[in-house]
Amino acid sequence: MSLELLHRRLIVGMGLVSLTAFAGGAGFEPISAVVAGLALILALFWHPDADLSLRLERFWLPIAVVLVVRSLYHVFLIGDDVVIPVVDLLLLLLCAEALRSLDAPNDARLYSLTFALLLASCAYRPGVLFALAFVTYVVLATVTLVVGHLRRKSERHRIRENFVSRRFLTGMAGLSGVTLMMSGVIFLTFPRMSRGWASRGEVTATSIAGFSDVVSLGSHGSTILANPEIVLRVEFPDGTPENVLSLHWRGRSYDRFDGVRWSRSVALPPAIGPARWYEAWGTNRVRQQIYAAPLDVDVLFALHPLLTARSDNPRIQPLFDNAGDHIYWGSGAPSYEALSVADRPAPEALREARSGFSPARRHYTQLPTLSPRVGSLADSLTSGLDNNYDKASAINDFFHEEFAYTLELPRSAQEATLEHFLFERLEGHCEYFSTAMVVLLRSVGIHAREVNGFLGGQWNDFGQYLAVTQNQAHSWVEVWFPGYGWVEFDPTPAGAGVSAAATSWLWPGRFLFDGLQHRWNKWVLDYNMESQSGLYQRLSELLSGGAPESSVTPNQPPSTGIDPKWTMLVIMVMSLTAFLLFKRSRGHPPEAELYLKLRESCRRAGFRADEAVAPLSLLDELASVGHPAQEPARTVVHSYLRSRFGGQELDARERKKMKSDLADVRRALRRTRGPTDEHRHRL
Amino acid sequence: MLRKTWSKLRGWRRVRFTTGGAVFSVGTLAIGFAAINTGNNLLFLLLGAMFGFISLSSWLSERTLRQLEIRRRTPRGVAAGRPTRITYYVTNRKRRFPTLAIYLIEEGLPVPAFISRVGAGDSAAVASENFFVQRGVYPLRTLTLSTSFPFGLFTKERDVPLPGELIIWPRSDRPVQLPTPPGGRGKQQSAHLTGGALGSRGEYRGLREYRAGDDPRDIHWRTTARMGTPVTKEYDQDATEAVRICLDTRGEPGDAAESAVEVAAALAAQAYRAGRRFGITTCTSDLAPAVGSGQLEVVLDLLARVDFDPSAPALAPPSDPLGCVLVSMSGTRGGSFGAYINPAGGSGALPYVYAETSDADRRTG
Repeated sequence: MSLELLHRRLIVGMGLVSLTAFAGGAGFEPISAVVAGLALILALFWHPDADLSLRLERFWLPIAVVLVVRSLYHVFLIGDDVVIPVVDLLLLLLCAEALRSLDAPNDARLYSLTFALLLASCAYRPGVLFALAFVTYVVLATVTLVVGHLRRKSERHRIRENFVSRRFLTGMAGLSGVTLMMSGVIFLTFPRMSRGWASRGEVTATSIAGFSDVVSLGSHGSTILANPEIVLRVEFPDGTPENVLSLHWRGRSYDRFDGVRWSRSVALPPAIGPARWYEAWGTNRVRQQIYAAPLDVDVLFALHPLLTARSDNPRIQPLFDNAGDHIYWGSGAPSYEALSVADRPAPEALREARSGFSPARRHYTQLPTLSPRVGSLADSLTSGLDNNYDKASAINDFFHEEFAYTLELPRSAQEATLEHFLFERLEGHCEYFSTAMVVLLRSVGIHAREVNGFLGGQWNDFGQYLAVTQNQAHSWVEVWFPGYGWVEFDPTPAGAGVSAAATSWLWPGRFLFDGLQHRWNKWVLDYNMESQSGLYQRLSELLSGGAPESSVTPNQPPSTGIDPKWTMLVIMVMSLTAFLLFKRSRGHPPEAELYLKLRESCRRAGFRADEAVAPLSLLDELASVGHPAQEPARTVVHSYLRSRFGGQELDARERKKMKSDLADVRRALRRTRGPTDEHRHRL
Repeated sequence: MLRKTWSKLRGWRRVRFTTGGAVFSVGTLAIGFAAINTGNNLLFLLLGAMFGFISLSSWLSERTLRQLEIRRRTPRGVAAGRPTRITYYVTNRKRRFPTLAIYLIEEGLPVPAFISRVGAGDSAAVASENFFVQRGVYPLRTLTLSTSFPFGLFTKERDVPLPGELIIWPRSDRPVQLPTPPGGRGKQQSAHLTGGALGSRGEYRGLREYRAGDDPRDIHWRTTARMGTPVTKEYDQDATEAVRICLDTRGEPGDAAESAVEVAAALAAQAYRAGRRFGITTCTSDLAPAVGSGQLEVVLDLLARVDFDPSAPALAPPSDPLGCVLVSMSGTRGGSFGAYINPAGGSGALPYVYAETSDADRRTG
């Protein structure tokens, strides 16, 4: 394979890889990407000759004009994201350059276009596919730049032999490890000064049932089997709890039930106790680092009771409402740190909780019109019990002992009613159990509400996190205890949380990939000051062989005491100074400068006038085609030679004559083009 | 001291940006600036990769230029205006790394030599071709090795002290006519030496050291064996038909001086072609007549080095001036540029010289 062909194929490979990198992000448009991909693959195998290449340029131009107009339309008229139409233009230019003839001197353009595409993909929060594409791009770029450089040198010096061996190329590819290593070092150690990057592009929110303002009884169950999509990834920075697979991830509460639907009252007064009540629960805390998928509901999921929720993402603002549900204001995929109480109040303590602040009665004891049998059932279950805890436990145990869990949905509207569940069917899924328990508790005057969330999850060993999927959606009950707040009860018997999706043969691969993706998101896309300082701390612990006391907490960013913008300015000034100092200070004498300008003008006009061409040979070249520039050029060249090698210093008049002759040469060259390739071969 | 340190550092390595390298470096700074301002972590990855390319480029270019052994061979006998080919023999002493795409730039010469590849432990030869418009001795001091390998982003240069010199002879192709020997005007001289034949070359005269170009059949082997150096026989004809060229170097350097040197060179070349003995005397040096191409080389070497100086001592030929051919740009008593006419005859006077410095300018005495 010739160097030209090898070089072109490598560059096209770079283009394909950068297209792949872009495809992994939110800005991906399938049609233009597929068309561009096909064109690039064609460019691997087909290379038009110079004539056809020229004709093809006429074909590309109108498409480019259309894309430019489209970009302007997007920017100025629609006010939409400008990057996508610009990327389409980039793809067109890349394909056009890749489909030029092999001898076209478009190396720099191709390099720039592939790099620009890679750069554009950085704006769209690409997935782990970007990592693979980036590594491949660096390897390819290392080899391509070397091959390109050697190719151009061979052409300039007319060296026909191909002195680039496979072993050499392999060695160069191996050396790209140096580049990758440097990339990693810079990435890890360069101080992060901003609070993170809010990527472009709309992230598609996952639709999830059961967390909107109105939830119909039975609507939750329809999602349980069907959807294995991961909605939460939870890490436990302080250590994984033992019961990690049975944790309840609280989402939203509902206070009003009309017999068919649960809803949230619009004007709900505050229904949460003060934070100090949770001290009575216990002193143990559990910290969760939660990476939620973008959902179409603004709910922050966490373990109950949640003390604080904090997000580093500037686009996410955690809030909580009067019901005590944690929500967020903003967009995108929320990632946040939650701190919850790990303990549960002792039963004895809850039995003593009889008086104190209780939330608005009418909301949490509201009942729809139901059959009197419901009230009778509640009375029978709680008769003889003198405290709310025992009553709630009795009802809870009733469901556990007398009912069975099933994911089969009711076959008719009649079977879908709560009464049918309580008295006929005696089996159902979590919504029925939680709804029934709330109704029974309210029937005996106990404040209770329905809560929707997720139960359990699957531990991802690779990513070291708990993956909570949509099909782990669950409903349970919260009961109010004065002095303690809302306490969880889960009346659903065992059998909840098993999903068919986890047994799918694709699942292990998907799960592993999800672990990769999670690590990518956490350690690359969301790498920030805290991550960095945490890393440094761990490194120092490793090096010191222990965990010494540190006055820097993981959340405290390191203080440099220097404004980073001034530091950058100083670095730029120093770099510029170094550049000027390293510039060839030998400097050319004026006559040499004039000769070099003459040579450059001839080169641009199509004459062979590179460094290897001697001054007199340049004159010969002009004379051989009878170019009108030859006479003034002769004067310039002879003056140069006299000064440079003849030891004669030109006076001001002679230098002025040299300049005017040079101007004459340039004028003549502009008017008359240089020799064609055919003519050049004859020379 | 700072200047000395700085020039030592610059001599050790010099790095220049190529156009692509300048753009790449500016792009790296721009990416860095964008990464810091936006906090986009992927830009830090790209920034690191770009720094990695710069580091790799620096390291590889350094490896390419190191451990190279270079010998230079300069041509012998190149006249001004003719292509001068300097050959370099490059040996790569590295055990694993090839050396790729380096230029060998001779200080002061415009055209470098380019070597595409020297394998590890291998050698290669490459030549550069330059043109010298003027005769002289060109000292060669430093060879600069330059490469923009591997990526063409930066050009790294390293100076290798490689002292030498390049002698450019004056042109010897000016149309000149050798004067006829005294008493034999118009007599044609044979351009060929007839070595060894008594009569055509006169009587045997003696022995002298062998010079390059002498007829090997004239070597006296017995004396050569005894002395250990080649010795050749000399004949009367060799001695009597000598042309002594007297070049008057009093005057300012310039075109006229160069013309005079070229005339002298042309006379020597003519004498050589005619098979005559010839020598040269200048205001500051003297070369006894001899015959052969070796003598021509020595004369041309001398002419390559000769300097013109108005305060030079007067020309004093060691032999009878009547046997000299004077080449002077000043004329006998001040004269015109290039050729001149002198009155002939008389004791101590100098004979005519027929020499042309231009086609249009021919004078006879």
